[in-house]
Amino acid sequence: MAPQFMVSHNLEALLERLRQYAEVHGPVRGDDGVVRFSALTPGILPDLSAIRTLLPPKKYLLHPQEIILSYTEKDGYQAPSEGARPLILFGLHSCDLAGINYLDQIFLGDDPDPLYAARRSAQTLIGVSCIPDEFCSCHLARSPLKPLSDLFFHHVEGGFAVTSSSPRGEELLEDVKDILEEREVNIPEDARRFFGQVASMRVRPELDAALPEWQELADCCLGCGACSLCCPTCYCFDVLEFSGLDGRSAERVRRWDNCLFKSHAQVAGGMSFRKDRAERFRYRYCHKYRGFGPLQGIPSCVGCGRCRVVCPAGLDLRPLAERLEAACRE
Amino acid sequence: MRRLRLAIAGLTACSGCQLSLLNCEDELPELFEKFEFHFFPMACSPALLTGQYDAALVEGCLSMPHENELLQELRRRSVYLIALGTCAICGGVAALRNGEERELLRQQVYGQHLVAGETFDPMPLQNVVQVDAAVSGCPPEKQELLRMLAGLVRGVLPVNIDYPVCTECRMKENLCLLMERNALCLGPVILGGCGARCPSLAVPCEGCRGALAEANLAEALEIYAQKGFDRQIVLERLRRFSPEWQQ
Repeated sequence: MAPQFMVSHNLEALLERLRQYAEVHGPVRGDDGVVRFSALTPGILPDLSAIRTLLPPKKYLLHPQEIILSYTEKDGYQAPSEGARPLILFGLHSCDLAGINYLDQIFLGDDPDPLYAARRSAQTLIGVSCIPDEFCSCHLARSPLKPLSDLFFHHVEGGFAVTSSSPRGEELLEDVKDILEEREVNIPEDARRFFGQVASMRVRPELDAALPEWQELADCCLGCGACSLCCPTCYCFDVLEFSGLDGRSAERVRRWDNCLFKSHAQVAGGMSFRKDRAERFRYRYCHKYRGFGPLQGIPSCVGCGRCRVVCPAGLDLRPLAERLEAACRE
Repeated sequence: MRRLRLAIAGLTACSGCQLSLLNCEDELPELFEKFEFHFFPMACSPALLTGQYDAALVEGCLSMPHENELLQELRRRSVYLIALGTCAICGGVAALRNGEERELLRQQVYGQHLVAGETFDPMPLQNVVQVDAAVSGCPPEKQELLRMLAGLVRGVLPVNIDYPVCTECRMKENLCLLMERNALCLGPVILGGCGARCPSLAVPCEGCRGALAEANLAEALEIYAQKGFDRQIVLERLRRFSPEWQQ
């Protein structure tokens, strides 16, 4: 299907239409200057010039902290009863879309996570093209991850070229066609970056634990967790159970965790698989650039640059990755 | 089910931690169902230690001989001894002037009058007794107190927090005061669990929950120095609640 064109000033009209279907969220710059995904209510326009939000859209799929089971004597353990509300995410960049693609592989795989699955199927993803800044690395490496969306808006002269890539996208496109026009437009080649350019990455040999870089990174790391909290593909979580005061009820909570924390690799008896921060850095690097488990060979870094932007110590894994992963490049 | 017998005591401190517990008004009726507040001088009289306790909750640091006696007594009589608040865990504000001549300090406060009894350098509870669990904060968060008590009902102790204030601050998607406002925010080296209470209101973290066990102090000092903060001022701020940070 030929791309549709939407003139820039129709953006508000488009959002108004989208709001008929569901709550629409997009990148909004707050009074404090922080760009966050939040509700695009009438009168609030997305900041489409912002390169990245502080937290990635994973916050809609895995809440920073949420109750996953409630226990009562009468009913035993029960999953939360509230269903996922339809949500349209507007203004997702390719990296965030690729990030959701990665999370889908984790949480919708063999044993789907019911909360994730319900939220994900209630979501409509609308991407928008962007230009990488000095923190981005999406344009430097090829990735098997795909920036899957329902609709994608490519910035072009005077407006957007709109393409759909799902039945839901087609449906939406049909319903808003009166504010679009058919036009031959040239979509810039690199608009979707290098995502989906390789089927899978070669499985590489074990990372050298003796590399001095792990310790150098660890020495500078404050262990604040910002890098992985703000990472679109870091999904590690901790599960805690809190009993009620009555002694007969409980809530089981899932909370974002972080591989740089001591407790992350701690097991019964106080033993730990990764006692010092240097080992934890190697572990983090391995996950971000090589993948592990069923997704071994699929790097989970989507190049959004958040980890570099939010690190108080200004740590950057890119130089190390450039050296260690150079052979992975085509 | 038998009500759990509690002893709640305050040593050298402001009583704010005990007050936080009393401030759980909505939960107090339920707490009375589950617990017998047998020894709680701040809230009820008479206050005499008798028999055994399922848990002793102790606020404040240790700075006087009679406090030591009380603490030892509480330890002997209790299954669990739980440190309540930052002072009990690491000494807190009272330990700010540790290392200085005590007689001089006494005279600065009381002059030549002999009103104050014998004191020694304020110290955390763990210096003299075994502490089974701790709830940090100045004062602790109400939710943490209630979770700790609910845990006792089930026979479990609270899980130690090992992440800094920054973690919850980022989860809340707050503006980073350290990076974006060049504020002397102590978030990266201070124990979390408060839900980033102050930074969420654009107030830099003062460090009231005490030092993070794995804090990378050297790097933090480097970053504060790069932001133009005087090393001495930073250290003084750090020591306000965490006197172990001497340097």
